[in-house]
Amino acid sequence: MGRFRVTVDTGGTFSDFVYVDEDSRAVTIAKVPSTPDDPSRAILAGVDLLIAKGVDPADIRYFCHGTTVGTNALLEGKGVRTGLIVTEGFRGIYEVQEQSRPHGAQIFDIFYDKPAMLVPQSRTGEAHERVSFEGEILIPLDEEKIRATLRQLKGKEIVSLAVCLLFSFLTPQHERRIREIALEEMPDCSVSLSSEIVPQIREYYRLSTTVINAYLQPILARYIDNLEGRLVGAGIVTPQKYIMQSNGGMSTFAATAKKAVATVLSGPAGGIVASMQACRTTPYNNLITFDMGGTSCDVALIKDGEPSIASRGKIDGRDIALPMIEINTVSAGGGTLARTDKFGTLEVGPQSAGAQPGPACYGRGGTQPTITDCNLALGYLGEDNFLGGQMKLDRSAAREAIDRHVAKPLGIDTETAAEGVVRIINVKMQEAIKAISTMRGHDLRDFMLLAFGGAGPLHAGAMAQALGMAGVIVPLYPGVYSAMGLVMSDVKHDYIRSRLTPLARLTEADINAVFTELAKDARSELQDEGFAMESIVLEASLDLRYAGQGYEVTLPCDLELATGGIARLRADFDARHKEMFGHTAPDEAVEIVSYRLRGVGRVPPVDLPKYQPQGVSLADALRETRQARFDGRLLDCPVYQRERLDVGISFDGPAVVDQLDCTTIVFPGQHAKVDEYRNIIITAKS
Amino acid sequence: MAEAQTKAPVDAIELEIMRASLEGIVLEMQNSLFRTGYSTIVRESQDASCAIMNAKGEVVAQHVVLPLHIGSFPACCNAVLEAYAGDIQEGDAWLINHPYQGGSPHAPDMAVITPAFFDGELIGFCASIAHKSDIGGPVPGSCSGQAREVFNEGLHLPAVRYQRGYQRNLEIERIIAANSRTPELVLGDIRGQLGSARLGEERLLELTKKFGRARTLSYFARLLELAETRMRAAIATWNDGRYEAERFVDDDGIEAGKPVRIHVVVEKKGDNITFDFSGSADQTRGPANIRPPVIRGACSYCLIALADPNTFVNSGLMNAFNIVVREGSVMNPRFPAPVNTYNPTVHALVEALFAALTDIVPQKARADGCGSRSIILGGRSTNTGKGYVQYEILGGGAGARATKDGMSGSSINQSNAKIAPIEIIESEFATRVQRFELIPDSGGAGQFRGGLGIRREYINLADARFSIRSTKHVIAPNGLRGGGKGRTGDITINPGREDEKHLPTRYADYPLKGNDTFRLDTPGGGGLGDAAKRDPASVLRDIEEGYVTPERALSDYKVVLRQSDKGYDIDEAATAKLRGAN
Repeated sequence: MGRFRVTVDTGGTFSDFVYVDEDSRAVTIAKVPSTPDDPSRAILAGVDLLIAKGVDPADIRYFCHGTTVGTNALLEGKGVRTGLIVTEGFRGIYEVQEQSRPHGAQIFDIFYDKPAMLVPQSRTGEAHERVSFEGEILIPLDEEKIRATLRQLKGKEIVSLAVCLLFSFLTPQHERRIREIALEEMPDCSVSLSSEIVPQIREYYRLSTTVINAYLQPILARYIDNLEGRLVGAGIVTPQKYIMQSNGGMSTFAATAKKAVATVLSGPAGGIVASMQACRTTPYNNLITFDMGGTSCDVALIKDGEPSIASRGKIDGRDIALPMIEINTVSAGGGTLARTDKFGTLEVGPQSAGAQPGPACYGRGGTQPTITDCNLALGYLGEDNFLGGQMKLDRSAAREAIDRHVAKPLGIDTETAAEGVVRIINVKMQEAIKAISTMRGHDLRDFMLLAFGGAGPLHAGAMAQALGMAGVIVPLYPGVYSAMGLVMSDVKHDYIRSRLTPLARLTEADINAVFTELAKDARSELQDEGFAMESIVLEASLDLRYAGQGYEVTLPCDLELATGGIARLRADFDARHKEMFGHTAPDEAVEIVSYRLRGVGRVPPVDLPKYQPQGVSLADALRETRQARFDGRLLDCPVYQRERLDVGISFDGPAVVDQLDCTTIVFPGQHAKVDEYRNIIITAKS
Repeated sequence: MAEAQTKAPVDAIELEIMRASLEGIVLEMQNSLFRTGYSTIVRESQDASCAIMNAKGEVVAQHVVLPLHIGSFPACCNAVLEAYAGDIQEGDAWLINHPYQGGSPHAPDMAVITPAFFDGELIGFCASIAHKSDIGGPVPGSCSGQAREVFNEGLHLPAVRYQRGYQRNLEIERIIAANSRTPELVLGDIRGQLGSARLGEERLLELTKKFGRARTLSYFARLLELAETRMRAAIATWNDGRYEAERFVDDDGIEAGKPVRIHVVVEKKGDNITFDFSGSADQTRGPANIRPPVIRGACSYCLIALADPNTFVNSGLMNAFNIVVREGSVMNPRFPAPVNTYNPTVHALVEALFAALTDIVPQKARADGCGSRSIILGGRSTNTGKGYVQYEILGGGAGARATKDGMSGSSINQSNAKIAPIEIIESEFATRVQRFELIPDSGGAGQFRGGLGIRREYINLADARFSIRSTKHVIAPNGLRGGGKGRTGDITINPGREDEKHLPTRYADYPLKGNDTFRLDTPGGGGLGDAAKRDPASVLRDIEEGYVTPERALSDYKVVLRQSDKGYDIDEAATAKLRGAN
């Protein structure tokens, strides 16, 4: 037995495992029921599965975990009792938030409320201090006053403290001094400083991010500590233990415990990282990732092997200003409900049947038709092979639900209704894909649709056809694709510093000086985490804008600008602006808003195994033939067993490919072939 | 017969596909505009919205950012259709910002409209309306509270052709540039709008190609029809009757101390509803007037809020109700009456409508709120010599609702701007914010408390010209069902200094000196229900959070408090006695 990588992506229902033998490069997977009360129990259970096969735990050299502990605590309002310190006179920042309501239906909803504050006014204290927009201290920190304020907060039994002062991203001394005093008064209190969590201009977003961190930090720290103890107890002693973050990079256990907020939007990141790997192992460098599960669908764009990165995002209406993979989420999943009304209109979503009662065909009490019911009625799903046959689907219940709620009210037959519902949900998902692609001037004909998640490969073929995309890739293990991504990521830490300055007033040396400082932080943090200098890569970029513009463009740049570098930056910015927004203003002054540095600790890559043809014929992979409906016609479809599809084999649609936790549909007019990584590559029949 | 049977079902499926596609297209247009817009107003405050219209200029799809624009788009588009009938070609684009010869609420709201042709036939329009930072006139930001005619409100473009054959008319750009204090921002935003409309046009043609022209147009018609049908069905469930309400705007900016009456009579019978505004004040000399397209937008807003926030939002809604406006009144002024500060009037109108309908749809009752306001500082940058406009839109307390408190520090009703970040303002403009807090006791008392207003206090670091367009500095937001009024707003120059001075609700061009301070207090929302019925535990929590003072807890809420080592607790016996005595 060789050395192993073990990864686990904890979901609401299942914890997905991937085990990679680094020497033989053999990959195995497992799904273990999740244990929401203590997710580490399921994790140990999954680790035990490997150990039970005779693997020495000491040979597990790499462990990476995608966790929703922070996300769930935030969504359920179960963070810790937190306090907040703001600059005196500025209690309004947090409560007002953005001031606006979300666009769309909520504008009309007079019962709409902003997300509740994680720290109420009664646990918010003020610091007598002020820093100017140039970083100058206008009012020095009144230490006596802040000490008294912190004592009051102590009396309110806070266990965590967020500090966010105006312009602290320029001059962090006051925040740091407040931490010192806070720890003198409350040695066990966790303290999150906005100047460390995200030293970035725009006070509300920085504050919100810092408060979320403070609210979750002790919970994640405790969880990681407990997990570390259990893993070490099980003999997994490697220091290479990582947690996935929202930026698509990993972080060590210790670093994650300090920056909990970076995990909150990490759920979809694993799948994107795995997709980036697909770019390296297939001829396709431009992908739209399409992850469709039970209630929602996440799409993201990968261009030239790299995903788009957003500089902030929202969860449940709360703002997080950290770099994260740009994902577009729509309410479309297997459980999405279809319904008609008295006016004869048919609507699909956004409501979902969820896990309980679930689709009608699950037989758990659901009576409303869902996407899964429609896929079953159309013959795309089989009754006997769901979850590898562990769960039988009730086709007549699905048909009855569709009949009663869609087909009869509209006066059409069941299959027509089912096909219509699927077309509608597909259009909604296609619109989500267009939103992230055509707007930036990308041409979808140059992109492959990479489908994963339980339901992605069912819908991808029809969507790629409708969107005129180059084709579809269905990876070997679409049901555990996020966990697969955890096998192949790097450690990534983001550093940012906002310094709003006209570009014309700066020299190359000025810019280099800021990056030098950030680089020092990045190198020392990565070295502390055990990375040798040669494994550390630093990627610099600048947030630039035309003077007075409301929004910045992130432009990659050299870590050290040579003479003439500023002139080139300027030209690059104009060009990038033109590319992104279609217009440019070469006569306008340009400003730097923020400096960004990403420190990457390269983890030695593990290559996924290539497979050799085993000489298994297509006929050997055929499990059955069943009828499925395509565009109004009922066609006989071969159903292949994925595990038996040999490398190099190819076939035409219509066809169904079943595997443990996923079904792929190859539509009429499409051609499928299995590549040497055992991906199914679907393209238009030539 | 058989054909008729199969036609309907295909309709339901394809119609929903059409609707989802149109929603996707307008959202894409909107995202494009927010991304490519140049000014802070478009990109940070997001004061801009997009729509797709049919060939008659009726809105078929709109991603709702600003609800009033549903009335403005058709009016703007009709102006184009009238002015250019017979001469509309592929590759054209128009600009229009005229409140009388179009539908813009005021001149800064510039519409960019492009036609969509399929096989040589006009099938519709793509458009956006976005607020411009400055379009000329006597004051920075173009909105003078003392304007006496639209001629004091900046450059007005009736429908004018901005592009032919996809080529921009540079003369028009030069005229606009010469009339704006911030020409780069205005032209940058207009080009962003143009890009967004062209994107919509391209997507709309793809969609038409997929469904064919005839079916596409029949689905457009069906979507309009359904919006009306659904709204009428909701209206039919409400009690028939005649309902009446009025609200007042502080003044018109010219005749100080003379409130402007907004009055509505609602006649509701079956699935018909009429809003008669004839009883409203005569048109004002100052810029408090609003035009019928804005009124139709405001009525649609109220009906959607009361019927179903998730209903189909398109022009069909506007066929579900009638409005009556008297010519020469504040709701239908004669040209060239000024209109730039339209928003306070619209808030009064919306609140009058909610008040009139409160007994019809009691479960959605809500007290009055803060209205909306903007402050505008303008000058020339000492660094660059360039003109600048610092423009901020501020909310306040929302009214208490039938089942819960009002939101604090929020934009309300048809207004929905984001607040400008302090760190950005201070970095860009010669100003420093000294205070940004909620105002205790500003929410009207009630079983459900009104939301709190906010206080922003600034010190000015260089001379600047200051304008404010606010509301409810004199007339407080009303409570409902016995709830108390919200606190009024206020604008004070140099508070606490010898030269302290209060400005009127709407005021243009006050010369601020370096080192002057100004303090803006925004109104709180009205309360709902008897304050003495508010759960004492909620009152105690409000005290702990600093929302209500102990004095007001006693006087308004009849809650008797005892000082304890940790703050306050409730003297339940004394409270019960006091409340019982009332």
